[in-house]
Amino acid sequence: MTDRGGLRSLPAALLVTALLAYPFVDRALQAQTVHAVTDAMIYVLLALGLNIVVGYAGLLDLGYAAFFAIGAYTMGLLNSPVLGSPLYGHAWSFWVIIWIAALVSAGLGVVIGAPTLRVRGDYLAIITLAFGEIIPVAIRNLGDITIDIGGWRPVERLNLTGGENGVNPVGRPQLPGVNFDTDFIPWYFLILAIGAGSLWAMSRMRDSRLGRAWMAIREDETAADCTGVNPVKTKLLAFGLGASFAGFAGSFYAAKLQAITPGAFEFNVSIMLLCMVVLGGMGSLRGVILGGMLITLFDRILLAQMTSLIRSVGRSVGIPALISVDLTLWRWFFFGLGLVVIMLIRPEGLAGRRLRPPAADVDEGEEDLALVAAPPRPRAEAIPRWLRQPPASAAVVNSHPILEVRGLTRRFGGLLAVSEVDLVIPPRGIVGLIGPNGAGKTTFFNLVTGLLRPDRGEIRLGGESLIGLRPHAIVGRGVARTFQSIRLFQNMTVLDNVRVGGHCRLHASVAGAVLRPPAVVAEESRARERALEMLAFVGLDGRGEELAKNLAYGDQRRLEIARALASEPRLLLLDEPTAGMNPRETDTLTELIGLLREEIGLAVLLIEHHMEVVMATSDRITVLDYGTRIAEGPPAEIRRNPKVIEAYLGKGYEEELVSG
Amino acid sequence: MLWHEVLIQQTVNGLTRGAVFALIALGYTMVYGIIGLINFAHGDVFMLGLFISLAYFALLGLTTTLQGWHLVTVLPLVFVATMLTTGVINVTIDRVAYRPLRNAFRLAPLITAIGVSFMLENLTLIWRGPAPIAYPDLFPSVDILRDWFGIDSLLFITTKDVLVLGATIPLMVGLQYFVTRTRWGKAMRATAQDKETALAMGIDVERTIILTFFIGGALAGAAGLIQGLYYNIGMWWMGYQAGLRAFTAAVLGGIGSMPGAALGGLLIGFLSAWSDQYISARWTNALVFAILILVLVFRPQGLLGERVPDKA
Repeated sequence: MTDRGGLRSLPAALLVTALLAYPFVDRALQAQTVHAVTDAMIYVLLALGLNIVVGYAGLLDLGYAAFFAIGAYTMGLLNSPVLGSPLYGHAWSFWVIIWIAALVSAGLGVVIGAPTLRVRGDYLAIITLAFGEIIPVAIRNLGDITIDIGGWRPVERLNLTGGENGVNPVGRPQLPGVNFDTDFIPWYFLILAIGAGSLWAMSRMRDSRLGRAWMAIREDETAADCTGVNPVKTKLLAFGLGASFAGFAGSFYAAKLQAITPGAFEFNVSIMLLCMVVLGGMGSLRGVILGGMLITLFDRILLAQMTSLIRSVGRSVGIPALISVDLTLWRWFFFGLGLVVIMLIRPEGLAGRRLRPPAADVDEGEEDLALVAAPPRPRAEAIPRWLRQPPASAAVVNSHPILEVRGLTRRFGGLLAVSEVDLVIPPRGIVGLIGPNGAGKTTFFNLVTGLLRPDRGEIRLGGESLIGLRPHAIVGRGVARTFQSIRLFQNMTVLDNVRVGGHCRLHASVAGAVLRPPAVVAEESRARERALEMLAFVGLDGRGEELAKNLAYGDQRRLEIARALASEPRLLLLDEPTAGMNPRETDTLTELIGLLREEIGLAVLLIEHHMEVVMATSDRITVLDYGTRIAEGPPAEIRRNPKVIEAYLGKGYEEELVSG
Repeated sequence: MLWHEVLIQQTVNGLTRGAVFALIALGYTMVYGIIGLINFAHGDVFMLGLFISLAYFALLGLTTTLQGWHLVTVLPLVFVATMLTTGVINVTIDRVAYRPLRNAFRLAPLITAIGVSFMLENLTLIWRGPAPIAYPDLFPSVDILRDWFGIDSLLFITTKDVLVLGATIPLMVGLQYFVTRTRWGKAMRATAQDKETALAMGIDVERTIILTFFIGGALAGAAGLIQGLYYNIGMWWMGYQAGLRAFTAAVLGGIGSMPGAALGGLLIGFLSAWSDQYISARWTNALVFAILILVLVFRPQGLLGERVPDKA
C-alpha cells in the first residue's frame, strides 16, 4: 500500500548502492561490523516472515521461533556428519538443503496452523505459544530417548536431534572462488540476496489477490467468508508461507554459526521478533525492516554503549552505584517495556497507517448525516458492461427458479428460529422478506449464505443444492449478501474492498502472484478496471484510495453493495439496506435495486423495515413471524392481510385497519 | 516403595500442586470472564507473591521455623500483607497497561500483557539475580503418618501438605461465597455477562473490573506465598511456567467458570505429578501444552464452561 515505487526512485538507488558498498567500506575502515550486521539481517528476515502471519493475516503467532528452529535443525541434521546424513559434504549440499528447510518449515506451519483455524484470535495466540514451547522441549529430549516399560527397553539412548549438545559442525555453503570459511563478506551478500528475494516475493504477494484475502481475513473473517474468501485456505497459506521464510533464515543461521543448540529458539526469540513487527508497524514491510534494524541496533550496540557511558560518568563523578550498572541485564525488560509503550501510544507502529480515526470523525450526529450531499442517482448507462454479460456463476442456464427454499428449519436450543419456511425467487425476481424484530429474517439469510447449517429443509440455487457448502463456496455459486450492521474491511481501501468482492472470480495462485505471468497481470488490471467501474456505478468514483472506515454511513452501505456485486452474483441478499439512511439516500438505493433487475436481470431478496421501499420494489413478499411463514403474496395483498397486521400491531387492530 | 505407595505419594503431590495451580487459575478465569483478556502477566504476579512474602518475612527478621504463637499471628499477617500487595500490583497493571486499550483491537491488550510479563520477570531478575533463591523453611514440617499416627510407612505426608489445603480451600470457598452471595459478586457476574447492560443498570463497571483484578492478584499472591513455604525455593522465571500451567487449568475447567478453574487446577496438578513419575519430568511441559492445545481446539468451553455460539 504505502511501499510502492520499488527501485525507481533515487533514494532507493542510493540505498542499494550503500548496501552493496557497505562491507568493503567496513573492511577499509577495519570496523569489523559485517558479522554483527549479517546476524541482524537474519532477524529482520524472520520478522518479515512473522509479519505475513501477524501483520497481513492478523493471526498473533507467539511461537514463530519454532519455525526458525525447524529451519536450523533441518539444515543442521541434513548437512552435518554428526548423525551421518548422506546429504552432507557435497558442493551442492547447502544450496539444496536450504530449500528443503523452507519446505519443511512451511509444512510445519500448515500442521500448526490447521488446528488453530477453528479457534478465536487470543486462543490461537496461546496455541502457537504452546507449539513454540513444545518444539525446543522435543528437540532437547529427542536427543536421548530411552523407553523403559518395567525393565523392558525397546529403545535405548536413541539420538535423533543432537539433544542438549546440539549439532556441530554444520556444513558451509560452497561456491567456486568464494571463501565462506574465513571471510564474513560472502555471508553478508548471501543473506542480502535471500532477504532481497524474500522482500520482493512478499511485496508481490501483498499486492495480489492473496494479499487482499489475508487483509480481509484480518479485518473481518465472517465478512471475508461471505465475500468469497476461503478462510481456511487463506490462513493456512499465511502460516505456511510465513514459516517458509523462517526456514531460509534458520538454515542460514545454522550454516553461519556452525553449531545449533535448542536454547537459541525459546519464547524470548518469538517475543523479540514480535517486538520488531509491532515497533515497525504490523503489515508494513518498510516498517518491519526499520523495526528489526532499530531493535537489533539497540540490543547489540546501544545497550553496551550506554552501559560504558554510564560507568565512565560514574567513575569520573565517583558514584559507585553507577560504575556497577550493566544495562545489558535489562535487555528483556526493555523489550517488554517496548511492547507496552508502543501499544499504548502508537499501536500502528512507526511506519503504519494510523489505526484510529481522528476523534472528530468518530461520532457523526444525525444532523450531519442529513447534510451530506445526496448521492448521484444511479444511471443505467453507468452499469458496468461486464455485469451485463451472463454472470460467471450462471454457467448453466436452466428453467429452475433462482432460489428455491423448502421446509427450512433451524432451532437454537429450545427456540425455533426458522420453522418450515418455503420461499421461491424466480429469475429476475425481487422478493421482500419482512416481519417483526426477532421473526427469524436474518437467521434465514444466514442459512441461505451458509453461515448457519439448517436442521432440516432444502435450499437450491438454480436447481443445485447449497446445503453443506461453506459461505465462500456459496458466493462462488452466485449468492452475494450485505449485512444488517455494515461489515466492511475497515482498514482497507475502498477499491480493495471491491476487489476482495471479485476474489472468487480471480485465479492467480501463490506462484502466479509472485512471478506475475502475463495472464495474472491481465487478470489484475481487469479486476482493477472493473472495481473502478463498479465504484462509479454506485456513486463512489474518485474515492477508491480512501479507507473504508472513513466513508460516511450511506457511502459505506453503497460500498457494501458494490463489494457484493463484484462477485458477479445471480442472487443478491440485502439485509436492511436502507437502515439509518436519510430519505434521499433511501430513494437512490430503491432506484438502484430496480435498475439492477431491469438492466442485468439480477434477482434480489430484501429484508427491509421501510415499508414504502419493500412495497415499491418487491414483486412478492414473504412475511415471517416467530420463525414461521404467516403470509406470502404480492405487496397489495400483503398490505391487507389480517395476519400480517396482527403480527405487526397486535390483535384487535385488524378489522379497524382493513375496514378503514 | 511399593507401586501403590508411589501412586498415592504422587497423587498427594499432585493435590498440593494442583491446589496452587487452582488459586492462580482463578485469577485467569475471573479476568477473562469479565474483560475477555488472557492476562499473560498473571503468572508473574504469582512469582512476585513469593518474593514479596519473602521480603516481608525478612523485614520481620524471621528466618527459622515458626513456632507457637508466631505461627498463628505472624503467618496470617504476612498472608494478608502479601495478598494486599499483589492485589494492588495487579490493579496497577490493569490501569496502566490494559485499561487504555479497552476499545482497541482485540489483540492489543494481549500484546501489552506479554510485555508486562517480561517487565515483571526481568525486574525480579535484576532485583534478586539469576540464581534460585532459598526461601526459609518457616512452616514446621511434621511427618504426619509416622509422628502423629505412628504408622510405619514410606509415604511422606506432612503438615505442609495440610497447610496448602488449609489455606487454599477456605480461599476458594470464600471466593465462591463472595461471588454468588454478595452484592459485589452479583455486580461482577452481571459485568461478565454483558458490560453495557450492567452499565445501564447502574453498576460501576470500571470499579468492578478493579475489584476483579484485585481479587485475582491477591489469590496469586497467596499462591506465591504457599509455594515458597512448601518448596523453599524461588526463581525469577517460575511465573511463566506456573502461569501457563494455571492457564491450561483454567481452560481445561472452562474459562470463565470458577469451579472449573478449581477442578482444572487439580487435574493439571495430578497429571503433572503422574507424568513426572511415570513418563519423565522433562516431558511434563510438553504434555501440559499438548493438553492445552487439544482442549482449545476440540473443547474450547472446557469441562464445566458453557458453549458460547459465535455471533454472525
